[in-house]
Amino acid sequence: MVEANGTSLVEMRGIHRHFGDTHALRGVDLTLRAGEIHALLGSNGAGKTTLVRILAGLDRPDEGTVTVGGELVERFDPKRMRAMGVALVQQHFTLVPTLTASENLVLARPDGWRRGPGRNESARLAQLIERTGLSVREDVPAGRLSVGEQQRLELLRALDADARVLLLDEPTAVLTDQEAESLLSVCRTLAAEGRALAFISHRLAEVFDGADRVTVLAEGREVVRDEPVANHTRSSLASAMIGHESSGTFTDRGGREGSRVSGRLVLSGIEVGRLKSIDLSVAGGEIVGVAGVDGNGQSDLEAAVSARVAMKVGRVELDGLALIPGNPRSRRTRGLAYIPSDRYQFGLVGSMDLSDNLDLGRVPRWRRSRTKRRAGRVDELALWDVRTSGPGARASSLSGGNAQKLVLARELDGTPKAVLACYPTRGLDPGAADSVAARLVRCASEGAAVLWIGAELDELLAVADRIVVLAGGRLLGPFFPPYDRAAIGLAMAGESHEVTVP
Amino acid sequence: MSTVAAEQPSTPPGGFIAGVGRRATSGGVVSQIVVPIAAVVAALVVGGVLIALDGTNAFSAYREVLRAVFVGKRGLSDTATAATPLILVGLGYSIAYRARVFTIGGEGQYLIGAIAGTAWVTAGGIRTWPGFPLVVTGLIVAALAGAAWSGVAGWLETRFGANIVISSLMLVYVAGSVLQWAVRTGIRDPDSFVPNSRPLLAAELPRLPGTSTHAGFAIAMFLVPIAAVFMARHRGGFRVMATGFNPNALDANEISKKKIVLLVMVIAGALAGLAGMVETAGSTGRLGAAASVGFGFEAIIVAMVGRLHPIGVAIAALGLAGLTIGFESTQRVLDVPSTLVGVITALIVVFVVIGDALANRGREGR
Repeated sequence: MVEANGTSLVEMRGIHRHFGDTHALRGVDLTLRAGEIHALLGSNGAGKTTLVRILAGLDRPDEGTVTVGGELVERFDPKRMRAMGVALVQQHFTLVPTLTASENLVLARPDGWRRGPGRNESARLAQLIERTGLSVREDVPAGRLSVGEQQRLELLRALDADARVLLLDEPTAVLTDQEAESLLSVCRTLAAEGRALAFISHRLAEVFDGADRVTVLAEGREVVRDEPVANHTRSSLASAMIGHESSGTFTDRGGREGSRVSGRLVLSGIEVGRLKSIDLSVAGGEIVGVAGVDGNGQSDLEAAVSARVAMKVGRVELDGLALIPGNPRSRRTRGLAYIPSDRYQFGLVGSMDLSDNLDLGRVPRWRRSRTKRRAGRVDELALWDVRTSGPGARASSLSGGNAQKLVLARELDGTPKAVLACYPTRGLDPGAADSVAARLVRCASEGAAVLWIGAELDELLAVADRIVVLAGGRLLGPFFPPYDRAAIGLAMAGESHEVTVP
Repeated sequence: MSTVAAEQPSTPPGGFIAGVGRRATSGGVVSQIVVPIAAVVAALVVGGVLIALDGTNAFSAYREVLRAVFVGKRGLSDTATAATPLILVGLGYSIAYRARVFTIGGEGQYLIGAIAGTAWVTAGGIRTWPGFPLVVTGLIVAALAGAAWSGVAGWLETRFGANIVISSLMLVYVAGSVLQWAVRTGIRDPDSFVPNSRPLLAAELPRLPGTSTHAGFAIAMFLVPIAAVFMARHRGGFRVMATGFNPNALDANEISKKKIVLLVMVIAGALAGLAGMVETAGSTGRLGAAASVGFGFEAIIVAMVGRLHPIGVAIAALGLAGLTIGFESTQRVLDVPSTLVGVITALIVVFVVIGDALANRGREGR
């Protein structure tokens, strides 16, 4: 730790990274200085993780330069980057669960080819704990440590290699508030000793509590570039994360006002995972948008409403009858269409053909011959505009948009009473996204209660009759049109009057 | 964000069967038909080299195999008899493996089926029943017992997450011990000096007219098309396939994947239990301490070489049984060790695995 505070330890310039057709990073700069904590913000898929992975040597840039401590990085290799003093604490822990804390340290950085006596290892851990003030129980297998302790052990392991640059990928995502607070204060100390720290977060509060500077990424570009946190307010950062571009060519919501059946889809007192007492009622003919940053309970809400998991408390009712987890076919017969956020995991069977995929969830006891099954689906595929070589093609051969249309063809068949749409336009090109959105809007105008969990605020603003915000496991709002972007952005940052949604 | 790696479906352990299951369920024509045929040919060629090294003309050895099976007096009948348990157990495996449920406990379910069926048909008050109800109830009891035994392994996985590969295999050894207890104490024939059950007598399966094959072969061959229709045309088959490909999608839309795991375990167990009773009532006539001869393990190879397809299973079982019967004769006539069958069988497995790997690489490298 010889660098004076303020010296720049890491300089990344003009970083580009492609993954297939995706342009994950489009010319990003990042500077990390000794003694400073840098917060990286951005919605999912903005490129934050790719950026830190490159810096840790786990990935390489297609273009751009990286210098660490004034030295240009030529080969991206985790070992080399560690030697240069860069350590990454990944989102998913990489400890060996059956080994104790000290054994995990030795595994990561052995003292030569032979294991010394156990007390040396313990001494090494004890020294490290003393130096950093991070406490970890010594003789317990890592798998049985609390999540906070595991996180601290990950940090200890990073510091054991005497890292000058510490990267933390969503370090607080799994921690309780107290644990997160103590982690942030540890980060402070580590920075004060002359290290440069960068952490990725979704929680704006932490940025203001812990960070000195902030960079916000959106779709691989920097929308806020290395600015002091003090220059910002929560709402300015929130709106930077959400973005302002409008792609709003979606079908207008006008003309559906008349046909409301109140309380078609009712969520009452749901508690599961991160969700804390969720109450929401969606009327028939209404589209309710659930805005918010991923990781605030979105996946729990999806699992609960789709009856994929049993809830601790609360119930989901469709037309007054509760949906029962463990019987997925009843979801369909009861009239709840489910468009999953991960269509390849929960919506389709990639190795089966399209006709089989259309049968999923409604396959008859006895099936016709394969030829007839396929022939019987040709019109349906044409009607839903699934572009493919035919019903015999495998679902995995479809492009993202066509795969989603296949899911819609199955789920929206036969006028559903309610629709749970989770990120229905994610990963689709604008044309496909528009047609998917139009189908959902048409469902609502036919009387379905539509619950739309979305990531892109613009899209929700265009289609939703009412928007609620899911932040920290609670629903905030509701917001009605004409929408106040700033107020919604503030709510997404977890900064809002908490109102129980009727 | 960086959840891509974490979201990858985890591959359940199960060694080479897992790999075979994946490939056999996703391959095209090449891996479905060409690979097993090529593997058999290659194994026979290598086997021929070994025969030649042993000092016998390989062609005359294989000619004797063919003669024994197709020309010999009881060749075809014996082949059918030997294939029967392999077909039954193999059918069960082929369905379970389609769901990527890698049970290898057929041997235990076979034994439990044989024990339970024998205990039923030799029990006091029942053994005096006339033949037909005795045979039918005996087979039903055996199938139920095998299903229950297999269901235990399935339940351990769905309830506690215990690995089916391990628990089903361990239950084989438990079943082996149960057999030793049964023939010595539980259902021992009081009039016998060696540990044996009572003879099955009226519960024995009748011969098929004009052959020396027992009726169990007809049962097995009857179940082959039923299994094929179940997989191709029944809802259950669809669910089994979907479980193998993407249990999460099945779970979210169609039925709980745990139910399918239990279902295929119960089907596999019922068929293996049935096989145990068929063999006892058809071939051995009573249950002895040496009833465990490894059909339950051989059937894994049958299911694999038969490409997890019911008709393929029947062909593979008949082929393997034919080799066994043929080499028994070859040993008598030409003094070629009949253990060579084991070598050739093992070689078939090796070549199937190699062929699948090559076919797979060809597909990926297009």
